[in-house]
Amino acid sequence: MSGSRILAIARRIAQGFRRDERTLGLMFVVPLVVTALLGWVLRDTKDATVQVVMVNEAGAPGQRIVDALTTATIGAPDGVEVISHTDSEDAAKEQLRLDNGDIAIVIPASLPSDVLAGTRPTFTVITKGTEPAADAAAFGKLQSVMATLAAELAPPGAATPVIPKIARETVYLTPDADQVDVLAPIFLGFFGYFFVFLLTGISFLRERIGGTLERLLGTPVSRGEIVLGYSLGFGMFATIQIVFLTVFILNSIAVPAIGPIPAFSIGLGVDSAGSPILAFVIALLLSIGAVNLGIFLSTFARTELQVIQFIPLVIVPQGLLGGLLFPVAQLPDALNVIAHGLPLTYAIEGLREVMLKGADLSSRVVQTDLLVLAGIAVFFVILASTTIKREVA
Amino acid sequence: MTAAMSGSAPVHAVEAVGLRKQFGEIHAVDGIDLALEPGRIYGLLGPNGSGKTTLIRLLTGLAHATAGEARILGTRMPSRQALGQIGYMPQAEAIYPELSVGENLSFFARLEGHADRSAIDRVLDLVELSGRKGAPALELSGGMRRRLSLACTLVHDPKVLFLDEPTVGVDPALRVQFWTHFRRLAAAGTTILVASHVMDEADRCDELIFVRSGKVIGRGTGAELRANAGTDNLETAFLKLSGLDAEGRPLDGNEAVA
Ligand SMILES: Nc1ncnc2c1ncn2[C@@H]1O[C@H](COP(=O)(O)OP(=O)(O)O)[C@@H](O)[C@H]1O
Ligand SMILES: [Mg+2]
Repeated sequence: MSGSRILAIARRIAQGFRRDERTLGLMFVVPLVVTALLGWVLRDTKDATVQVVMVNEAGAPGQRIVDALTTATIGAPDGVEVISHTDSEDAAKEQLRLDNGDIAIVIPASLPSDVLAGTRPTFTVITKGTEPAADAAAFGKLQSVMATLAAELAPPGAATPVIPKIARETVYLTPDADQVDVLAPIFLGFFGYFFVFLLTGISFLRERIGGTLERLLGTPVSRGEIVLGYSLGFGMFATIQIVFLTVFILNSIAVPAIGPIPAFSIGLGVDSAGSPILAFVIALLLSIGAVNLGIFLSTFARTELQVIQFIPLVIVPQGLLGGLLFPVAQLPDALNVIAHGLPLTYAIEGLREVMLKGADLSSRVVQTDLLVLAGIAVFFVILASTTIKREVA
Repeated sequence: MTAAMSGSAPVHAVEAVGLRKQFGEIHAVDGIDLALEPGRIYGLLGPNGSGKTTLIRLLTGLAHATAGEARILGTRMPSRQALGQIGYMPQAEAIYPELSVGENLSFFARLEGHADRSAIDRVLDLVELSGRKGAPALELSGGMRRRLSLACTLVHDPKVLFLDEPTVGVDPALRVQFWTHFRRLAAAGTTILVASHVMDEADRCDELIFVRSGKVIGRGTGAELRANAGTDNLETAFLKLSGLDAEGRPLDGNEAVA
């Protein structure tokens, strides 16, 4: 052990940093920026009012309850507001599908007879089912509504309120869908983006610093040919990656117990409501954008380390704002605008529409997402090819 | 120009007119005029940092000139079509370490539009790497990588060759073979510009171009340059043209040349 040798190594590292202002800056600035962004998202995410659609199948007695609830929740004193009512469950589901409301409460046709017979009526609560966490929060807020309900249900003169039973239904998926089902589209979008970006960024950087790019440019190859060749090459690997991931997410193979190894299953067994091919196309468009973003950003890196340093700049904000953790609609307004400039936002929205809601090409949302992603891919292709100059100084 | 079109006068293989390249304060190439004839080997000689690499990059259209212009076979650079006639071996190895020797060659051959296998085998023979065709470039020694790099440059039979320090790290026996091959290519009409910072191969060239600080300070055959400087040593001739004596000290009353 020699103290001076240890110090020499430590000193060499400090000297290296001194010439790499970018790394230094990133070390101090990025954690601040990311923490600030996270704080902003967490603090200022809008606490959305739970919008309730009442479904009355019980005629006049039911209408009394609907009216009482509507009056009691005007201005959403408890974060819940009745916004409309209909007389059929199907009509209510359609409203939820159209995003006109978060939850529907169905007053059953059997209400009068149940109350007369003294049995507890069963109310059905319908949620969209695509966001179990948000549904659970909405359920919490329904407590006050339930209290009003119970009071209204008691027959005149009865001492104890009638507590209704609750049955659950969902518009999409099933009431017992878990977080994994809901996160599946996000896995697909995120990995399609992240790895492809890193791989291309680093391998294009190696072309630049290794001199092979200069040599390529000494042949009659055009910039467009280089960029398209890269997109095709890495797109091919992205395709294989996405296919594997899709198969893994959508299937589940049970492996029986062998000796000491207990039985387990391979794959998540998530049910995709929509076409896996459409989901695949969305993920592929996203990764073509990522290939070319990688090429573009490699211009601004001198070492592999600096490509890795783009992760907090390119990946983290998209992770925070793209709808992975927090619904985009509830972001603070300024961040919402930024979110709509990020490709991952559209990919995740599209993947969720397709995989969770079974949307197909006729869906407006899916059409928009495909168009925007294709536009972003083309934009990055052009951007990338402008960075490949015959002057590689 | 009209001569080039009518074909009555020979087109210069390589032509530079008032070429300049500035990097901030540095005048890397500081007003160079050149006209190289087909089928000859030219040695571009000068110390490190004298602007040899930059001059080649300007001639091949890889760098934009601050002023002046470059023509290859009569075509103004940069031109993608003309690049098909050019072979450029950069100073750095510029090969793909993860690809095999054969894969590197066929990649560059395809980019040049020559997918012909016999050409690949021919250049592999020339650089004596036929036995290592399947080996990853990563596993080659430094000298072998330079040989592979040269092979990648020759695979499409270019009419004009720019070789930036091609024999660095190549052993003497193979050097002799390289030069024999360069000579054969020149005899077949290829124009070759070899950049080097050492003088020991200078006499294999038909003509020498001395550069210093981005300027041409002398031009001629080795014999002419030696005779003019009154020395039998090319290095001394170079120093004299730079305004320095044999030990690198400024010559009295001759600071005009810089
Ligand atoms: N891309 C660049 N940016 C800034 N300076 C450069 C660049 N390329 C070359 N130079 C400078 O131009 C001068 C000539 O360099 P170069 O052409 O590589 O010389 P040589 O090949 O003769 O050794 C040197 O001073 C070098 O530092
Ligand atoms: Mg050089």
